[in-house]
Amino acid sequence: MLSTTKKLLLCFFAGSLLSQSVLAKTSDEELTPLLKLSPEICITSADERSCDIEVTLEWQTLTNRTICIISDYKDLKQWCSTSPDIHDLTVNISAERDIQFVMIDKDTHETIAGVKLKVTPASPPQVRRRYRNPWSLF
Amino acid sequence: MPYLLALLLTASLFSTSSLASTPTSCDNNTDCIEVGRWDIGIALGYGNKTNPLKDFEDIPLYAVPTLAYYGDNWFFDNGNIGYTITEGENYTVNLITTFSNDSAFFHRWDPSNIFLLSGDTNHNAVTPLASTMTGRTAKDPKAIGELENRNFTYLGGVEAFIYTRFGIVHATVAHDILDVHGGTESKLKWFYNLPLNKWNFEIAAVLDWKSEEVVDYYYGVRANESLYWNQAYQAESAVNKSIEFTGQYVLTEHWNLLFVARYTDIANEIADSPLLDKDYTSTYFVSAAYRF
Repeated sequence: MLSTTKKLLLCFFAGSLLSQSVLAKTSDEELTPLLKLSPEICITSADERSCDIEVTLEWQTLTNRTICIISDYKDLKQWCSTSPDIHDLTVNISAERDIQFVMIDKDTHETIAGVKLKVTPASPPQVRRRYRNPWSLF
Repeated sequence: MPYLLALLLTASLFSTSSLASTPTSCDNNTDCIEVGRWDIGIALGYGNKTNPLKDFEDIPLYAVPTLAYYGDNWFFDNGNIGYTITEGENYTVNLITTFSNDSAFFHRWDPSNIFLLSGDTNHNAVTPLASTMTGRTAKDPKAIGELENRNFTYLGGVEAFIYTRFGIVHATVAHDILDVHGGTESKLKWFYNLPLNKWNFEIAAVLDWKSEEVVDYYYGVRANESLYWNQAYQAESAVNKSIEFTGQYVLTEHWNLLFVARYTDIANEIADSPLLDKDYTSTYFVSAAYRF
């Protein structure tokens, strides 16, 4: 028969071990993004302001949840997976400004994660008048 | 000076329209440069610059460099340092330092000649041939003894560009800032760029005014060189007139063919100096130019 003190100590150790494993799991989850976008940046040329690119969204699900992707891109207002086994989505983008993607739970509409595609114009080098002919030294 | 004023006024009348608006790209361009990036290049070929000084050799040209860096306002361009005070679509005003071309005739290693490499190992490209100008007997009153140094100097001043549909007018006034001769130079240049497919042509006409101090320092005769000529030749301010041609053919992104020619009619006030035996100087240079 264990004394009350020993029971308390056992509970304390068991509890601390449990909490350590939970903390480790939380830390792993924080290090691994739930929703990944590839590529994350699209650089537009100096001539064409529009970014035409194929991007892939990838996500991991911790539980068997079906998700939806919503965005402010005109051709992808909302897309929902048909199965919890689907973990990526490839989209052709043609945009002139940043696009925000948000992953939500299909059933609860809970926001799970979000990523942003940055559309950046390639800044042309700054130039100015040259006041001397390069070959006029003599 | 009346020439200069007349040309400047005429040019300013045409300055309402501009072909020289601020560029957006500098590909194969000679009148534009990327800010914050060194422009380095070298032209290798063959050419010659005639020396109007009596008994001085011509200056062969084998290599000509170009080295420039432009910041937002400051710039360094082939030895010239400048600061842009104001700039508009049709005009630019800069504070500048520049250097005189005259000392180049006297010194092999003058900045104007730095890269005009001679194959001659003793570097005597502009050394007198030691015939008529030196070594004469003291009995000849017109004999000129060994010349004293005519030093290089920097000039500091102001320049203005006016961009017109008929070309670009460039006016400069600069004064000796190293107190070598204490003189002033002023230049009025008109030039016109004509891009034609892979060719780019530039033609220019230049009036180059030099004050009496400049002419006297470089082309006057010192008393210890010749007492006779020291009295007989009195320097006056003078205007040299030049025409220039530059042709470039784009071969690749980095390589160009380069054709340069210049003819300068030396003012009578200078040509009358006993140090000269020609009243002109001409330069030509044919090369392949590489821009890094």
